[in-house]
Amino acid sequence: MITLKDVTKRYGETLAVDRVSLEVPAGEVCVLIGPSGCGKTTTLRMINRLIEPTSGTIEIDGRDVMSVRPEELRRHIGYVIQSVGLFPHLTVAENVATVPKLLGWERRRYEPKVLELLEIVGLPPAEYAASYPRQLSGGQAQRVGVARALAADPPLLLMDEPFGAVDPLTRERLQGEFVRIQRELKKTVIFVTHDVDEAIKLADRIALMRAGVLEQYDTPEALLDHPASKFVHDFMGADRALKRLGRARVGDVMRTDVESTTDGTRAIPREACAGSRFVYLTDGDGVLEGWVDCRVFDAGTPAEEAGTWVDWREAAVHPETTLKDALSRMLGMGFRNVAVVDSAGRLVGEVSLADIEGAMAGGDSYVADPSEGDVPSERLDGGAPA
Amino acid sequence: MTGVPEPLSVAGLVGWTLLVFAALALVAAVVPGRARGPLLLAAGAGTGISLLWALGVAAVHLQEGVPDISRVSIGSGAWLAGIGAIVIWYAAVQATASPRVRRVAGVLALAGVAGAIAWGGLGELSIAKEYAVQSRRFWTLVRQHLVLAGAGVGFGALIGIPLGILASRYRVVRDVGLGVVSVIQTIPSMAMLGLLIAPLAALGLTAIGTTPAVIALTLYALLPIMRNTFVGLSGVDQGVIDAGRGMGMGRAQLLARVEVPLALPLVIEGVRAAAVLVIGIAAVTAFIGAGGLGVLVFQGWGQQADDLTLLGAVPMVLLAVLADVALRAVHRFAVSPGIREGAHS
Repeated sequence: MITLKDVTKRYGETLAVDRVSLEVPAGEVCVLIGPSGCGKTTTLRMINRLIEPTSGTIEIDGRDVMSVRPEELRRHIGYVIQSVGLFPHLTVAENVATVPKLLGWERRRYEPKVLELLEIVGLPPAEYAASYPRQLSGGQAQRVGVARALAADPPLLLMDEPFGAVDPLTRERLQGEFVRIQRELKKTVIFVTHDVDEAIKLADRIALMRAGVLEQYDTPEALLDHPASKFVHDFMGADRALKRLGRARVGDVMRTDVESTTDGTRAIPREACAGSRFVYLTDGDGVLEGWVDCRVFDAGTPAEEAGTWVDWREAAVHPETTLKDALSRMLGMGFRNVAVVDSAGRLVGEVSLADIEGAMAGGDSYVADPSEGDVPSERLDGGAPA
Repeated sequence: MTGVPEPLSVAGLVGWTLLVFAALALVAAVVPGRARGPLLLAAGAGTGISLLWALGVAAVHLQEGVPDISRVSIGSGAWLAGIGAIVIWYAAVQATASPRVRRVAGVLALAGVAGAIAWGGLGELSIAKEYAVQSRRFWTLVRQHLVLAGAGVGFGALIGIPLGILASRYRVVRDVGLGVVSVIQTIPSMAMLGLLIAPLAALGLTAIGTTPAVIALTLYALLPIMRNTFVGLSGVDQGVIDAGRGMGMGRAQLLARVEVPLALPLVIEGVRAAAVLVIGIAAVTAFIGAGGLGVLVFQGWGQQADDLTLLGAVPMVLLAVLADVALRAVHRFAVSPGIREGAHS
């Protein structure tokens, strides 16, 4: 648990951070957000003492950070920054091993950990361990950055706009992976961003700051529905129903009872089309290869012409994709249905516009009546068979 | 070649070969694609080697039947051709992408040059005869020259690198240190030796001999080394430093594990520049009795013996080239492939 009590940072006459107090329970993701210059990064950097607070206390699990030597403190806190800051003269594996080496771990202790982490962040060690940072794309570099922050298994992770410098598609993918990894590792995370959608997508709690002052600290739902001030209301934006879709994940509403065949389009029986609109085509491993639109098929078109062949990386979503991203993907592709695949591209279900509309309708009715209780999560979970 | 009195059949043949190679270089210069580099390499090496052979053959020929005290000097045309061969070779190395081709060509060319020197009759040239007379003294002077330049660069690095590090840390060192070192650089070398007399006298040292020479050379080596160290360290990406600090590196760890390795290419480049510079300036220290190849140059001038001057000057050029090559090799060996320019990625 992280506790900030009246933390203040003053630069001459300017108050960069003004008596900020907040508590982040262990295993939760706290997103610090606000306009630039609001003090969010300063707050983050005071936690690992890259900046020393002028007054106030910061405790990690009850221990005052000022009582620990800064270097020692930082070695037990993961640190990820927007510019990544990989050491260009070291290989990917050496980069990830940085903190374990600083802690004096022996090679045989950190080496398996390094390889495991590269696997976790989606960079097969056989291919990437010996490469140098300049050989990586922006997204890959930040994956290494995350692996490096996790190498010594710190309970706390500080992330300063980690996905701010990559293209939108890569950012969406990295956010999805962050959710997956966080679900697995349950770190306490302090995450700085200026992107409201990112905050809503990733946060357990959002701390919204303005001019050094903490405006509101609560769940994303509460910030959307019960803004403490006009500033919070305006900052969170108008499209609340849509924003709330950023909180729900495809995995919560997808249907897993989809029809699929590994035989290609050749032998699809008419009965396969009885219950659903699409029959998905997969290879022997269950990896999505395309689909047959049953309406076209029923209309008398031969199956091979009714089939659509796709690359799952382009035309499918993942269970951890937010409904908002899934919706924008559907609108972008002009589909009313989209297949759901796991990280290896294996078909696990589908989600339709109707499923999302259902979730959104719940949100809308809620927004229409602010007196109602908490988020209608039952509604969101309603369609989840798995 | 000066004054070729009659058609020299063999020399003429080699001369024609030389022309052919030069023509090849011209053709290669306009050939596009991957063949260009190797073609230029062949042309450069061919020009250089056939030039050496031509000189040898001509010298032997000219020396026939004339008294032994007569000398055959190298004329300006041959010097120009030699420079041309070096320029072609340099362009060829730039144009060749494959390091293996470069290496093989280098070895072959070196063998060719060595062969020409060993068996090509170059011994009949005046410079070789001067060498034959001076050989024992020559090697002593080469050794002195190396010691002077080596000590200058060595002390320059020992002082310049820490100064560069301090300059990247403290504004005062940067402003004052770099300023002073830059001013030192502008002092002409002869003036420097004169200016050192007073401070050395104050320290009870004479202004004559090896010590003042090494001090002067060290002062000249300082600027490139200190400046490059400073620039290299200042150029380290702030994100990298922030990441290193944020992961718990102390100042010394950050310097040793991150900043210095990243600044290393520039530091080595600074040492290389200092070495080439100091090898040249070391010639002047012959004036204050420090020895070195400058002795031959000044003696040659004094006696109007051009060949003696050459015997001092040519090895000096070779020393500078050798230092250059050696420090490039250090660069390849010491700098991480992750930041090496042109490394295979």
